[in-house]
Amino acid sequence: MNGISCSINALNGLYDISGVEVGQHLYWQIGGFQVHAQVLITSWVVIAILLGSAVIAVRNPQTIPTAGQNFFEYVLEFIRDVSKTQIGEEYGPWVPFIGTMFLFIFVSNWSGALLPWKIIQLPHGELAAPTNDINTTVALALLTSVAYFYAGLSKKGLGYFSKYIQPTPILLPINILEDFTKPLSLSFRLFGNILADELVVVVLVSLVPSVVPIPVMFLGLFTSGIQALIFATLAAAYIGESMEGHH
Amino acid sequence: MASMIMASSKPVITIVASSSSPSKPKLQKIPQLSFPKLPTPKFLKPQQIPTLKSISLLTLTSFSFAPPSLAVEIEKAALFDFNLTLPIMMVQFLLLMFALDKVYFSPLGKFMDERDSAIKEKLSSVKDTSEEVKQLEEQANAIMRAARAEISAALNKMKKETQLEVEQKLAEGRKKVEAELQEALANLENQKEETIKSLDSQITALSQDIVKKVLPL
Repeated sequence: MNGISCSINALNGLYDISGVEVGQHLYWQIGGFQVHAQVLITSWVVIAILLGSAVIAVRNPQTIPTAGQNFFEYVLEFIRDVSKTQIGEEYGPWVPFIGTMFLFIFVSNWSGALLPWKIIQLPHGELAAPTNDINTTVALALLTSVAYFYAGLSKKGLGYFSKYIQPTPILLPINILEDFTKPLSLSFRLFGNILADELVVVVLVSLVPSVVPIPVMFLGLFTSGIQALIFATLAAAYIGESMEGHH
Repeated sequence: MASMIMASSKPVITIVASSSSPSKPKLQKIPQLSFPKLPTPKFLKPQQIPTLKSISLLTLTSFSFAPPSLAVEIEKAALFDFNLTLPIMMVQFLLLMFALDKVYFSPLGKFMDERDSAIKEKLSSVKDTSEEVKQLEEQANAIMRAARAEISAALNKMKKETQLEVEQKLAEGRKKVEAELQEALANLENQKEETIKSLDSQITALSQDIVKKVLPL
């Protein structure tokens, strides 16, 4: 009994030291519903960063671009390139969706890795990347689903649903299942990657406070960027897939 | 699965919240603190709690005596806790999309496209000026050719004129020379005749003299 309590005490101590708070949320009550306040706060910061920098850089475009404008032009060309390769020639109307998807996820992920959120103490839970929360990733994935359904229906009308029995009606269940697996895989991939990344960093910092976590942090930055790119590319690919005509 | 995790985590959350911030609205909904696996704090009602310190102490001791599964439950919190955050994030994302489209994607994209087309136009117009340059060069060549032709024509004309003049002068000179020659020849003839005439008279005198001398009469 004594040994057990000793070991449990040590365990509690470890929890206290590591300070890993997984799934601890700061709840706000809005009209009888609960929201995760820390996610909303960080997402507002991310939105403010995005809008602010875009307004400042693009406010007065020059023919010979200044440094900030040049960067934003590069980003826009990158987004256009991604949309064009995935969607095809009719990519124009989808650039805002794909671009916002990429930028929001990218800045969210990097804010989790770079901004010192942990300095701000919350009564409960802690500030982290907005993509650290399943609500955010599922929201984005569901929007992607809505987007590709809208793309297909607006392009082909009800003929869009004929893709479910292509190439043979035997594949109907699998094709229907795909509509559920797509948002599921999109949201869980992003959520799992970002959460795991932050956890690894936090645990490593708690174990070895200096030097050792730095490569993992860089790996985290890399993963964050890759995840944003994957999410945006896949969203564009799904939209392109539902828009393309089958021969 | 999500609801299960939530259900298992909710009482833990209320305990932690009660020790830290008792003013939360959520607390009023659950007046009864429940400790499922521990017999000791069962007699405690919220009205009987003497101080916050003691309850935190109690929770600490309960954690320390609890089996490891309860300690794990602290961490097994609401990972898959879906609530109003999800639709709010959707709306936020859509708003962000429209806002970014207004301030970034549309204006900058339009600007870049316009600049692209302007540059292309300028490039094509540069090609046009190269044709213009060719035309101008041809014009210049034509002018040069015309000038050369004019010059050569003028030269020829001048040559002819001068030749004519020269020939005229030559002819004049010849005529003059011939006239003078004629005159001189006429003069010579006159002189010849005069000398012949004078010679004739002298010949008669001389022949008389010779006759006189030869014939001694």
